[in-house]
Amino acid sequence: MSLLWTLVISAVTVLATFPLTRFLGRHAGWPIAALYLAAAAAYWPAATQVMAGDTPTWSMPWVPTLGLELSLRADGLGTVFTFIALVIGAIVLAYSTAYLKPGRNLTFYFYMAMFTVSMVGLVLADDLILLFLCWELTSLASFFLIARSGYAGEAASMRTLLITFLGGLGLLAAVTAIIVRTGTTTLSEALAHEVWDTSPGFTAAVALLVILAAFTKSAQFPFHVWLPDAMAAATPVSAYLHAAAVVKAGIFLLMRFSPAFHDVPVWNVLLITTGLVTCGIGGWFALQKTDLKKLMAYSTVSQLGLIVATIGVGTEYALAAAILHVIAHALFKSGLFMMVGVVDHATGTRDVRRMPVLSSAMPVAFWVTVLGCASMAGVPPMLGFVSKESILTSMLDSPFGAVASWAAFLGVALTAVLTFAYCAKIVFNGFYDGRGQAKWPEDRPLHTTPWALGTFAAIPIVVGLPLAFVVGILDTPVGRATAAMLPAGAEEPHPHLALWHGVNLELITSLAIIGVGVLVILRRRFFFPAREHDTFSFDGADVIRVINDTAADIGKSLGALARADNPTRHVAVQFVALAALVLGGVGVLVARDELLPVQEGLASPVDAVVLVIIAGAVVVLGRASSRLAAVVALSTIGAAVTVQIFALGAPDVGMTQLLVEALTVLMIMLVLQRLPQTFGRGPRWGNQAALALALVGGLSAGVATWALTGRRDRSEIAIWYLTEGPVETSGDNVVNTILVEFRALDTFGELTVLGMAAAAMVAILSTVRDRYLDPPPEADRNYVAPPEVPLQAEGSTAHRAIAEAWGNAVPMQIMVRATAPLLAIISAILFLRGHNSPGGGFIAALVGSSIVALVYLATSRDRSIGPPRLPLRLVALGVLIAIGTGIWGMLGHASFLEPLYGYIFDIHVATSMVFDLGVYLAVLGLVMEAFNLLGATGGREGTRERADESVEGEISGPMDTSRGERYAETRLGIPGRRSTYLQQDLPPRRGGGQ
Amino acid sequence: MILPITVGVLTAGAIYLMLQRGMVRIIFGLSLLAHAANLVILSAGVTAWRGEPFPDAAGAADAGDPLPQAFVLTAIVIALAVTVLMLAMAVIGHNDDTKRMPETGETHRR
Repeated sequence: MSLLWTLVISAVTVLATFPLTRFLGRHAGWPIAALYLAAAAAYWPAATQVMAGDTPTWSMPWVPTLGLELSLRADGLGTVFTFIALVIGAIVLAYSTAYLKPGRNLTFYFYMAMFTVSMVGLVLADDLILLFLCWELTSLASFFLIARSGYAGEAASMRTLLITFLGGLGLLAAVTAIIVRTGTTTLSEALAHEVWDTSPGFTAAVALLVILAAFTKSAQFPFHVWLPDAMAAATPVSAYLHAAAVVKAGIFLLMRFSPAFHDVPVWNVLLITTGLVTCGIGGWFALQKTDLKKLMAYSTVSQLGLIVATIGVGTEYALAAAILHVIAHALFKSGLFMMVGVVDHATGTRDVRRMPVLSSAMPVAFWVTVLGCASMAGVPPMLGFVSKESILTSMLDSPFGAVASWAAFLGVALTAVLTFAYCAKIVFNGFYDGRGQAKWPEDRPLHTTPWALGTFAAIPIVVGLPLAFVVGILDTPVGRATAAMLPAGAEEPHPHLALWHGVNLELITSLAIIGVGVLVILRRRFFFPAREHDTFSFDGADVIRVINDTAADIGKSLGALARADNPTRHVAVQFVALAALVLGGVGVLVARDELLPVQEGLASPVDAVVLVIIAGAVVVLGRASSRLAAVVALSTIGAAVTVQIFALGAPDVGMTQLLVEALTVLMIMLVLQRLPQTFGRGPRWGNQAALALALVGGLSAGVATWALTGRRDRSEIAIWYLTEGPVETSGDNVVNTILVEFRALDTFGELTVLGMAAAAMVAILSTVRDRYLDPPPEADRNYVAPPEVPLQAEGSTAHRAIAEAWGNAVPMQIMVRATAPLLAIISAILFLRGHNSPGGGFIAALVGSSIVALVYLATSRDRSIGPPRLPLRLVALGVLIAIGTGIWGMLGHASFLEPLYGYIFDIHVATSMVFDLGVYLAVLGLVMEAFNLLGATGGREGTRERADESVEGEISGPMDTSRGERYAETRLGIPGRRSTYLQQDLPPRRGGGQ
Repeated sequence: MILPITVGVLTAGAIYLMLQRGMVRIIFGLSLLAHAANLVILSAGVTAWRGEPFPDAAGAADAGDPLPQAFVLTAIVIALAVTVLMLAMAVIGHNDDTKRMPETGETHRR
């Protein structure tokens, strides 16, 4: 339970950041630090158990069907890292209360707390999935903490995310492979599995994936790029995440998987070589930096490399040395980062070339930094000295033969010289030399350091001093942690940590390193400035940018293949693919004689009549250059298809087809009056090619239909619907009951499509300005002036008959007066009887829509039908009604859209009828909107004005805006390079008649 | 086996029209393609049974498959919605050429 409490307290801290920052501002760091310490205290009982050799666990079912458990397990390794995360976290947060600017700082505290809980979860997880999730959460928190630091953090945070998520993918692959192969998601069981001994290939592959994950997180070469980048984040973030926690997550992962991999050759070689290379280049780059924080970042890269190399050795002694150095590094590096913050606060700069003499002005800070750097450089009697000695010893004792051991030993010794040199640079250039003293304005005082800033920066460094003398108390924790890094059956490790080991090779080496270091210090006035230029003319950020840009360019050129306003390219490719698939596939079926026998009686004489009509009309449609003729041919085809559908025994479908055909033709006619009379030129690569592709495509469609349909008996589901449908729904019209009951969700999706089409029309048309949408005759290339007809004098009947529409519309209006009520009644009947006879919401709505069409045609002047906002409201109402019946079904049956039945005055009713009403309204709304928008001729009201009015209500003219365009900046002077009305939330200006 | 030929003819016309430049022709092509697809779906219900699917009134022995019919009914109405949307785009600038698009006053940021 102790484990659970730790995690719960950490999780509660995340939520607590909201009220705490609201009431306390930046001082919220105090209670949050207290919560961290409380979490650490809650962990104490578990820690005592671990020290006694136990491994307390806790678990609860998570996803029982997949066998996943939320399981936690405390061992020596988890204990060390939990305390690092919580205690260093508490110190850094206390420091933040003085470091941060006054204010709420919610994002800082929130993401810090989120990071801590995921870090604690990571190190205590005993479930592979949980481990992976926590791993990704730490990456995300790190990303947000860098990204929140403004402009400088933007690109840097993206690069960090890119690299750490690359590693995350590696871990995901590793976790998946382990689960699949070992059959368990429990980490401790998986690590003890026999597969690591029996399957070397698999082991090496998983080891590589784990290494990828760990290297990206722990900034190992060549993934070290992100860590210096991450220095854009606030100093407390660097002190905590980039010194103690997030980068140590990678180290932790290596240590966690060490029991399985510690004797795998690829693991040893890769870790040792990469670790030492990273250590070396990190140290070299650190020497080149003049920004103290950047210097610290590269020094962290270097130190992490050292730890990785030590883990790679894989012996008991090496692993103990590694964990000791993790502890030592977490202490001195977080303290040093915070010290950089102190210096930055006092002087306003982090550049050593502008630094005044600080050793006399800030003696305490100076001596604390000296201590921290001494520990990092491995100078006795600091904790860092003990750990560095141990690392040197473990290199000598490595099991890879004398040559390799000596090479590794020498590598560590050389990097230690670099470490000593950059430590000297921090101390002397940063504090003592005052390279910027000459240029420092005399009247510019140093800012006084707030007590919290100085104190909490000093704590982690200062404790390293006494700890070195009583380093023996770390024997048990280090021993338990080492045990956790060795296979389960291994002998119990008993490290004997001590400051003084007697005069041996390691001590002599240390003295030699210090000797070289002192030489550097003496020659520092020449040595340090001479290093202060970059070795390469590019940095990692440039490399990532090049990779990124190249990928984007490749993507663009691939996209260009299909990017065109004209659909020919997409369509042609698809039809060629279809033809190849069908003709090839059917060819194989025929060749192997695998086609089923054709069912008898498939054809009927009507089919032949329909075919003849369609074939003739298709030829006319293809050859027509007059748009009007083409419409006639199209409607002929529509009518013929309707006959075919009726002949196939589908009256509902046939009625729908007939009504849709009529409405479509009307709408096309509305559009044609504003387009040229004839079609333009044919496709670019000629009508012959189009014809050839059409013939092949048509052939393949026909062959597919012939080969793949009509070769079986009636399907079981058809029989079921026909026999059980009426029983289930007490409706005899099976097609209608399928639409509104059995497959109502499909129909619901469809009516939202109708609604979207109506809304999309309005949206598209209201992005184009009136003068472009309906160009005036002088701007319209396709404008054809009305023919000059020699008319009789004005006022005569003949003149009125041609020039005035009113008289021509009268017969139609009289007809509408009679037919509209009739159609309304028919529509209502069709709607009501739909459950049992041909009819239903769709058909009734289409009949209702034809009233709209008739009224529209019968007016003598173009005007919109009904209030301008009505169509969209009808659509919305229809969708809402459908959703309402769906939810009603959920309440009654716990199933969305399932109909409920009941009786009103002995008449059987179902909620599906209400659903059908929703369908009705959506169809009606779409058709009304279509007539209103497509019918506008631009005479009195243009298309644009109609589109605007269907949202805004009646307005006096079209708006002079185009949403999504840079109008605000160019015309209204509203700043923002890409400002748009939607983003700025500004109302568009009304133009036109005003 | 006449229906497959009808489907083939409709598809051929559809492809020919959809490869043209004018939006209106493309819309016509899409209409033909919709007809063809609907007939394919209907013939998937096996056209040997052509009775109307009203079991109580007409009997179930000869009734056609109701499921493809329901699909096609939905498809027809969706085709209407798509046609309407494309018509709205065809009319912009009183010019339906898809190769030389009419000016819309938009400034592209590429």
